[in-house]
Amino acid sequence: MTASVTAGGKPRSAIPVLRVGDTLLVTVQIELHDAVADAFQEDLLVTIEKTGARGLIIDITGLDMVDSYVARVLADTGRMARLMGTDTVLVGMRPEVAATLVRMGYGMEGVRTALNVDEGLGLLHTLQG
Amino acid sequence: MAVDYMSLLKLDERELAQRRAFFEITDEDLARVAKLRDFAARHGDAIVDDLYQLILGHADSRAFFADETMVRRVKSMQKQYFLGLFAGNCDLRYVQDRLRVGASHERIGLEPKWYLGAYGRYLRLLLDRLFTDFPAAEAQAAFRSLSKLVAFDTALAMDTYIAANLDTVARHQAAIRELSTPVIRVYDRVLLLPLVGTVDTHRAQQIMETLLLRTVEDQAKAIIVDIAGVPVVDTKVADHLLKTTAAVRMLGAVTIITGISAQVARTMVQLGVDLSSIETRARLADGIELALAKVGRVIAVKA
Repeated sequence: MTASVTAGGKPRSAIPVLRVGDTLLVTVQIELHDAVADAFQEDLLVTIEKTGARGLIIDITGLDMVDSYVARVLADTGRMARLMGTDTVLVGMRPEVAATLVRMGYGMEGVRTALNVDEGLGLLHTLQG
Repeated sequence: MAVDYMSLLKLDERELAQRRAFFEITDEDLARVAKLRDFAARHGDAIVDDLYQLILGHADSRAFFADETMVRRVKSMQKQYFLGLFAGNCDLRYVQDRLRVGASHERIGLEPKWYLGAYGRYLRLLLDRLFTDFPAAEAQAAFRSLSKLVAFDTALAMDTYIAANLDTVARHQAAIRELSTPVIRVYDRVLLLPLVGTVDTHRAQQIMETLLLRTVEDQAKAIIVDIAGVPVVDTKVADHLLKTTAAVRMLGAVTIITGISAQVARTMVQLGVDLSSIETRARLADGIELALAKVGRVIAVKA
């Protein structure tokens, strides 16, 4: 398994995007403030453009809190990636995060989800045949 | 398990000071009762004996005492309690001691009526003896001071009774809450939650939280919620189910709702509730089969 940081050096959001074969893997471990969230989205899309990755896994196990803005950024990123031909799977959402989002009336419709990175890779594999 | 009444009743220095102020127990009162120590030692045994004549004279209150040995034991405890009144202390240690008395009464199921009735006799016995031993003015002052302490003690005993009962109620409520969301692992990565009884907003929230926690804990892929035991499934219940399903989906698992009767199906459609985003089945058996398919298993006929 080879992994390399985004071509072009340090990502603006300081969140490393790992490339594993045809798939990009990002593990968010810092809180996504509005500015960071925007830079994060930008980083991901640029990396997709550069690498032509077919799958994207966003692991948010480390996020204790996801507000509606961050939820929208995550969902939008998935939609944007799809336009570029990349399937996105959001993995590792914490129970309390899911409960809060649903209470706010935010169901993340249209976003593929999986319990963990392993499941996410499996799902991408099925999607891409 | 011993209940910590001190913390249950939030009895700290502040609370103690507030109680003492309200019961008007001054240092003067404490000094006055402390001076009665000889008096207490002189009459202690007789007063306790008299008290137990009352308690043992009634079949219902006597029932709390199994035999002579026990009577002797509680009598000596009673004497300690009685002498404690004249210690001239009203600090947290005194409170702790008094709470222990209340707690032991509560534990053996001795109701407040016996406690209060016996305490009444106590006061009358004290009153008579004070006026026999001392000049009227002195006896009156002593009785006034004592009655304050007695009221203080009584309040603590009643608080213990109430706190013990509230504690029991709270524990029962916790047990009921736990019983109301029994999440069962029917197969590796397949969970089942059979819902029985009314689903209100409070319970729905708790169901969602439990289900989400268990989903992550067990890394479950399929969660079956059987609603056959829910008497009324209306728009509100449906809304809760939709929300739970959406939350579970965000974790990366699927919810399957089973136990949808003809009646419920009819109601849902007539109410215009859209459940098409959820996998639903009439029978639990079908739900289990579907759930197993989600984890790559099939139920097959044995060849």
